[in-house]
Amino acid sequence: MKSHELEILRQKNLHRIQPSTPMIMVGMGTCGIGNGADVVFNRLRKKIDENKLKCILKPVGCFGFCAEEPLVTVYQPGKPMLVYSKVDEKDVERIVEGLILGNIYRKKILCKIDVWDHLTAFFEYGKGYEQIPHWDEIPFYKGQKKIVLRNSGLINPESIEDYIAVGGYRALATVLGMQPEEVIEEVKISNLRGRGGAGYPTYKKWKIMSNKQADQKYIICNADEGDPGAYMNRNEIESDPHSLIEGMMIGAYAMGASEGIAYVRAEYPLAVKRLKIAIEQATEMGLMGENIFESGFSFKLEVVEGAGAFVCGEETALIKSIEGKAGRPTPRPPYPADTGLYRKPTNINNVETWCNIPVIFEKGGKWFTETGTEKSPGTKVFSLVGKIKNTGLVELPLGSTLNQFIFEIGEGTGTNKRVKAVQTGGPSGGCIPVELFSTPVDYESLTELGAIMGSGGMVVMDQDNCMVDVARYFLEFSSSESCGKCTPCREGLAQALAILTKITKGQGTYNDLTTLELLSTTIKDTSICGLGQTAPNPILTTLRYFRHEYEEHIQEKRCQAGVCDSLFMALCENSCPMHMNIPGYIELIKEDRIEEAFELTLRDNPIPGTIGRICHFHCQMRCRREQLDEPVSQGEIHRYLADTMYKLGKENEIYNKLIKEKLKSTGKQIAIVGAGPAGLTAAYYLVRLGHKVVVYDSFSEAGGVVRFGIPQYRLPKSVLQKEVEFIKKLGVQFVFNKRLGDNLDFNQLTKENDAVYLAIGAWKEIGMNIPGDHAKGVFSGTEFLKELALGKKPKLGEKVVIIGAGNVAIDAARSIWRLGKEVTVVYRREKCDMPANKIEIVESEAEKINYRFLSAPSEILTDKSGKVTGLKIEVMKCGGIDISGRRKPVPTGKFEEIECDSIILAVGERVDAGYLAKDGLEVTKDGRMIINPFTFETSIHKVYAGGDAVTGPSTAAEAMGMARKAAESIDFILINEKRFHRLFRDFEYKNAIPTNVKKSPRNVGYKLAVGERVGNFHEVDGGFTGEQAHNEVNRCLRCDVKC
Amino acid sequence: MKITINNQPLEVSEGITIMDACQSVGVKVPTLCYLKDVSNNASCGVCVVELKGAKSLLRSCITKITEGMEISTNTQRVMDARKMNVELLLANHPQDCLICDRNLNCELQNLTYMFGIAGKRFVRTRKQYLDKDESSLSLVRDPEKCILCGRCVAVCSEVQTVKAIDFAGRGIKSRISTYLDQGMGLVACTNCGQCALVCPTGAITEKSSISEVWEAIYNPEKVVLVQTAPAIRVGIGESMGMPSGSLVTGKMVAGLRRLGFSKVFDTNFAADLTIIEEGNELIKRIKTGGTLPMITSCSPGWIKFIEHFYPKSLSHLSTCKSPQQMFGAVAKTYYAEKTGIDPRNIVVVSIMPCTAKKYEAKRPEMDGAFKYWKDKLNLEENESFFDVDYVLTTRELSRMFKETGIDFAHLPEENFDSPLGESTGAAVIFGATGGVMEAALRTAYEVFTGKTLSSVDFKAVRGMEGIKEAEVDLDGTKIKVAVAHTLKNARIIMDEIEAGTSPYTFIEVMTCPGGCLGGGGQPIPTNAFIRQKRAESIYFEDANKGIRKSHENPEIAAIYTDFLKEPLGEKSHHLLHTTYTYRKRY
Repeated sequence: MKSHELEILRQKNLHRIQPSTPMIMVGMGTCGIGNGADVVFNRLRKKIDENKLKCILKPVGCFGFCAEEPLVTVYQPGKPMLVYSKVDEKDVERIVEGLILGNIYRKKILCKIDVWDHLTAFFEYGKGYEQIPHWDEIPFYKGQKKIVLRNSGLINPESIEDYIAVGGYRALATVLGMQPEEVIEEVKISNLRGRGGAGYPTYKKWKIMSNKQADQKYIICNADEGDPGAYMNRNEIESDPHSLIEGMMIGAYAMGASEGIAYVRAEYPLAVKRLKIAIEQATEMGLMGENIFESGFSFKLEVVEGAGAFVCGEETALIKSIEGKAGRPTPRPPYPADTGLYRKPTNINNVETWCNIPVIFEKGGKWFTETGTEKSPGTKVFSLVGKIKNTGLVELPLGSTLNQFIFEIGEGTGTNKRVKAVQTGGPSGGCIPVELFSTPVDYESLTELGAIMGSGGMVVMDQDNCMVDVARYFLEFSSSESCGKCTPCREGLAQALAILTKITKGQGTYNDLTTLELLSTTIKDTSICGLGQTAPNPILTTLRYFRHEYEEHIQEKRCQAGVCDSLFMALCENSCPMHMNIPGYIELIKEDRIEEAFELTLRDNPIPGTIGRICHFHCQMRCRREQLDEPVSQGEIHRYLADTMYKLGKENEIYNKLIKEKLKSTGKQIAIVGAGPAGLTAAYYLVRLGHKVVVYDSFSEAGGVVRFGIPQYRLPKSVLQKEVEFIKKLGVQFVFNKRLGDNLDFNQLTKENDAVYLAIGAWKEIGMNIPGDHAKGVFSGTEFLKELALGKKPKLGEKVVIIGAGNVAIDAARSIWRLGKEVTVVYRREKCDMPANKIEIVESEAEKINYRFLSAPSEILTDKSGKVTGLKIEVMKCGGIDISGRRKPVPTGKFEEIECDSIILAVGERVDAGYLAKDGLEVTKDGRMIINPFTFETSIHKVYAGGDAVTGPSTAAEAMGMARKAAESIDFILINEKRFHRLFRDFEYKNAIPTNVKKSPRNVGYKLAVGERVGNFHEVDGGFTGEQAHNEVNRCLRCDVKC
Repeated sequence: MKITINNQPLEVSEGITIMDACQSVGVKVPTLCYLKDVSNNASCGVCVVELKGAKSLLRSCITKITEGMEISTNTQRVMDARKMNVELLLANHPQDCLICDRNLNCELQNLTYMFGIAGKRFVRTRKQYLDKDESSLSLVRDPEKCILCGRCVAVCSEVQTVKAIDFAGRGIKSRISTYLDQGMGLVACTNCGQCALVCPTGAITEKSSISEVWEAIYNPEKVVLVQTAPAIRVGIGESMGMPSGSLVTGKMVAGLRRLGFSKVFDTNFAADLTIIEEGNELIKRIKTGGTLPMITSCSPGWIKFIEHFYPKSLSHLSTCKSPQQMFGAVAKTYYAEKTGIDPRNIVVVSIMPCTAKKYEAKRPEMDGAFKYWKDKLNLEENESFFDVDYVLTTRELSRMFKETGIDFAHLPEENFDSPLGESTGAAVIFGATGGVMEAALRTAYEVFTGKTLSSVDFKAVRGMEGIKEAEVDLDGTKIKVAVAHTLKNARIIMDEIEAGTSPYTFIEVMTCPGGCLGGGGQPIPTNAFIRQKRAESIYFEDANKGIRKSHENPEIAAIYTDFLKEPLGEKSHHLLHTTYTYRKRY
């Protein structure tokens, strides 16, 4: 073929891309087919044939959005192309019907494409469908720039005519008219860097090769993509194999090579097939073979299927593998450019590097540098997988931040779980924590964090991923994929894996962490090839960013994420901050051993009736039953247990048992400041251990936030009172109306006691800092609730606005509603983003509390006397997902006013321990106390702290969990003996997994009718009946039972 | 090139490695896998050094010096890494040094001691316990002791081009194995034992016959004859603590007597006998148009190699048995008759520098003496016996000496027993590459031409060159001869033969580098320097022998007169010549 004939051929085939008849394209990459694209395709074929429609049906590659496959693109001449997502057979009928009737099927339309820039060609399809978003307006594609993926999903990868129609092989024709040096110069101008991961400048590699004199030179395409979770190269070949071929031919010409080999993973059969077809087509057309474009340049390309080993992606091993030898790397130098395939000079580049080449020649090297950063121009394709909503292939300019990838394009986890980290570069890369997601994605920045760019895998992890387990997983991979040649890699990785496994089993020591670090350094430092040199990265980065998780596994034998199954009983138990033996009490209830069930509960939790009502129910968030229908209501069962015992009056029996078994007096005296959940819990355990315990509180009664922050309709005073009485019976002394720094002297406390435990909570309202926030009629949420609990009548107006959406806000709103006033809750985000307990939100809605979502308070309006008259809010709209996994509220510039006479600020509380700093206590900038996470000791000897005062506002259960551990620590430090386990006992119960499990919804207790709630503070939730409780315990799958 | 090593400026020549450079200034860099001329596998990770400006540590064994390098060999980073890598190897290595064949001569043990590794930091990670490979008659492989340094693979594939063993599996499952895990005895292994010689640990050792030999010595009914190969006298001294290449013929004889052998004979006698037979065979082939080139057949590793890899060319081999087997055959016939000892009570023990000899002695055709006596003594098939009963390597003999507390260095010099103890200088050089050729030429020339040689030294065939060639003028008949040692070189010779381009009439092939003196049964270490020393001693012994041509050995003359009658005669045919077997490669 002559070069001008190519243009003629292109013109002749333009109709393939933009036909004059309707056209339907089906994404038939591996991802599409895996989701049923072939079924859709066949169905379409049949339907079109049946109706004798003049419609082109064409298989195309992957348009990137794998989570939405099968993607079907429908084109009607003169109109934009419409991309449908998750198309099934039923949709096919509708789509074809639409074509017949000349209208469009509107369901499942993802976006439209009105113009497309193939970079080597440009097409305008038509205008219209105004209400449908452009492809690059939907979050997944927004900001993406398709250079490598320019043709993916839009041409038939098995048709060379399609490729030529979009300008294919034109760059080759141009290049063959240039001098090889000029070609390399253009690549130099583009500053393209190797996309395989190391980022070595492509032109340099080419230059070295071109300078080598040899009778035979080879070029190789490395498509042995072996990272778990990475499949960019697969899709690139499957979707657009000719781009790769064209890029390789340009390189071959520049470097003087006449033979090329594409080394493709054998696990990619479709890519192999399509590449082979493409080679055949190009050869047939004379675009490959002898004397291409009559330039004298000849080239042939062969596909070699990989040997199924990760290490074969390493270039020297890859060469060995092509030669038919075992894939064992050899040290470099000599580099392949000197001694490569069959000992001839050889150049190896990654698929994506090659795919960039044709565009660089079509558009110019200078054009290429306009995208990306100065040091790293162009784009990079990543496969975004893991705990991410929008899975798929993402092509972004280099230098885009991780935030863009994970939150803007990926839209976070898509669940209520928080993103924790991302692993880039697969098993050779590192885990980057969410706090560092503002890092730009380029070669240098990622390396600085201890990760690598790699070939483009991006595995997102959420809070349910245990980072020790993640490191172990990757090590298991690299250890088994090590070729076994050199000692550090073969033996070292196996040892690292053994140590990590040991830690995940709770058998690790701090020494192991030191060994792991040393081991990792040696492996990096002394391995021959890239596999060994990078394999320790997952260990080193997790140790760097998630060391606390390792320490937790070692010190506490806990895996908070609930992954390392030797370290927990069941997910509910593991999620419970108090680690209550939930399967235990559930089984005991099943067996009608209610007293024992109560005793078991009580040993884990001194205030079961209270917590059973107001807990956040962490347990339910990780219940395995959820995979079947709904989580088990472990918390409600817990409450039922306490209520039933109290109703039967059987609690004293158990109370007395616990009082009787109190350990004998140790002579040690412990002061606890704060009688909230943390203080009470610490007191309960410490007094049972035989210590003298005195609890001080600034209020007149015990309970702290549970007593003075939670309204009676949620937690009747009597329940808490009964449970506090029991703690008193155990011998704990309470001293009320004592405030630290006021009428309680900190120094004296430390002097007079063997230990002091500070559990002073987080009470200080965070202000709003908007104009008018000090106006008359503005109240603090916590203050309001406190006054209410004290029985005072707060001086409120009739129209109250509450700012905030946490539990304090909702408690205040529902209380005020009960007082017969009009309440409006104003929140700057959406309803689904409210931090309050879900059940509270549901109940507040039942009570017809007004909500104004997406409303950001901007000013509190007052009259001349300074009294509140209203709230000015700015209307917000939803932006992208932010680091908290919620959508960012974005200002619209539109303002509205809400008329009101009182405003309650409830945007959050903080700790106010700053005043203790003068006594030498170390506190954080925001006022929280700093403690040793395992001993709970503060910076002052024998002074301990816990609860909200340390963590900031958290749940009662979390505070109690901390207090329980603190009690254990304090006792151990005081007595120097492990005694805490003596407060517990084993309960024998059946360990049988229920068989024949059927779907059944969770049981819901009786609730006070909404009409009956006005004007009083009667408890709303009636709790389970006996029957409901029994039904509910039978829903437990007993996932704690291990074979 | 100017470089610095540990801050000391240094000028070195281009092209050498960091390790060489360090060695040249007395900085010893430890390694477990590198072996000069054999392996540069770069696998162990022990020889690492720090280069200023380099991201990671460098392997000194394979990294070439470049201008201005600033190298440190003893920084904490280097020492920690070296130690860590040795510790990692120890994790999966059995710690039963006390009962290991290589105790006190183990490179891993040495480094462990040198690095002061006091405890076991790491656990065993290899899941499966790997079985010993005892399928070979010559060698035992214990993969549990293997540290995967790759030296054995390198020597087998690069030096010998046999490729009987290679890496299998990956990651922690990596191991050295044979084709389809069949075991060394069942694949195309030549039993040369070079793998055992280069192994840094006890992962490959000879299959020992020490206990059987003791049993024979202690058995009063048995007459235990021992023969010593030419290369033992230049090797055994080393393993008894003497300098490399010490020539200890007399002490060796004395020591063997102290061990309790009935008679101490010399394989050299049989070597002279071989020369008579082989020389005459060559002359006959030249004169009668037999298959040429004729190739020597003394080296059993080579024999197995040609049987596996060039079975079409077996007719090129001389039909002569090796000296060891000739000795066995005449000991149990000629000597038995002469002394009137029942051949069934004679036990022949060979001391060989070779592991392949253990296999050779057990080749089924090696029972000439039994066949000789079968009818005469009315023997049943199940009473059959081999010509040679047990083969011990030099290393095994040294263990027996050590076991019995023999103070080797202070033994007196004693002479071999008669009649199978007398030998010539031509026999002793059998131990070095080119020796058989030289010995054969000394005899062939004189027999062929009937003239006396002016000088018996054929220096062209001496030395460590891989393939040596020479042209010999047999009084007008010019023949080209060649000498090859190591099977890599044998392969070159054989490829020529099979291609029909071989210019030679007579070829000597020795399996091991340097010939028998570098044999797989010799003391460890054996390297180029040590081989050179041993060769010097061999040629020294030759030069100082009264008789230096095999056909002038009076005892050889006697055996022909008394027993064999004539070279290539009827008895020779049955006792001194043999046949070969077609073997498959897989």
